[in-house]
Amino acid sequence: MTQILAQSAMAECWACDTQNDPAAYLCAACGKLLPSDSTDYFALFGLTHRLTLDVAALEKQFYRLSRKLHPDLYTRASKEKRQWSLEKSALLNDAYRALRDPIARTEYLLETEGIRLEEQSRDATDAARATGTDKQQVIPPDMLEEVFELNMQLEEVRMAAASNSQDPELMANLEVAEKNFTAQMEALQQQLESLWAAWDRALADNDAATKDAAKQAMVALLNRRSYIRNLVRDVRQALGKS
Amino acid sequence: MAYSDKVLDHYTHPRNVGQMDKGSAEVGTGLVGAPECGDVMRLQIKVNPETQVIEDAKFKTFGCGSAIASSSLATEWVKGKTVEEAMQIKNTDIVKELSLPPVKIHCSVLAEDAIRAAIGDWKKKNGVQESSAAPMVATAH
Ligand code: FES
Ligand SMILES: [Zn+2]
Repeated sequence: MTQILAQSAMAECWACDTQNDPAAYLCAACGKLLPSDSTDYFALFGLTHRLTLDVAALEKQFYRLSRKLHPDLYTRASKEKRQWSLEKSALLNDAYRALRDPIARTEYLLETEGIRLEEQSRDATDAARATGTDKQQVIPPDMLEEVFELNMQLEEVRMAAASNSQDPELMANLEVAEKNFTAQMEALQQQLESLWAAWDRALADNDAATKDAAKQAMVALLNRRSYIRNLVRDVRQALGKS
Repeated sequence: MAYSDKVLDHYTHPRNVGQMDKGSAEVGTGLVGAPECGDVMRLQIKVNPETQVIEDAKFKTFGCGSAIASSSLATEWVKGKTVEEAMQIKNTDIVKELSLPPVKIHCSVLAEDAIRAAIGDWKKKNGVQESSAAPMVATAH
């Protein structure tokens, strides 16, 4: 019974009958293109769901695979195989774009773990409404205050710029804010990398509780980051630095 | 992305932009943010202590056009309602009224959050008990 299941979970190569991993899209034995259904970005590169990864190696692998999957190689193949190569090439591009970027990679991993980053706020609001409780804001209230306050200052700066009457004190404030938030962005990057390490270890140890904790911490970090990223962007713009 | 006419109308002529005295007992302030995009919104209500009717509302939003339109609409809707009535406003009502596309749903969520947070703040200030059950349950007994 289990053997049949295990068997059927493998993907057989149409050319040489080799049993391949179902996520594989190139036959391990003959290198031919396979009709894999897997859309997992990590698996496309032959990777596990580890978050710490060597971007230079990823890039090399991307070019190597791109060449093998390139639709030009299949112009005279069957319609089916042309289709596979088109699909896999497109998927490979998406996967590479997501995995090479630290934030997109983290978001993708969380998505594969069933975390709906885009819907979390709505889900929390639905829950608060249903239970008649106060919604828990995802970032601390004093940080919200700070974000709001800074936005007010930015607006003032923009209005002053329009009427050519910049307040030097306000501009000095913004310079400080820019340094401060840029430093916070860098700190967040460091924190994210240590969460990746925690996740990778828990993944290797198959430690569900630690995995969960790492995931929640990554969600919290990404949420904070959206605000800080906007502030850095807007402050730089107001200071005429971008 | 194309904004609906109603969004454009609220965006170009936002109603009730401004602020009220945070310290006043009659004023409830809700400051909320959308983690999806990092936008922030402040919505304030002024409540008549006798009737619990919301007599005035102001907002200030730093965010996208849909968030500005949602909060502008929210201030229009809460005015004249009692706090309990205002608690019934759902983000989906805003989505419908403004014809927001799926990617802009979180902007309407932000407006509902702001209403609820403002009412929560007002209740806290005035020692009004939070209703522990959901409104639907409360009316269905
Ligand atoms: S995009 Fe964030 S509130 Fe609309
Ligand atoms: Zn083969």
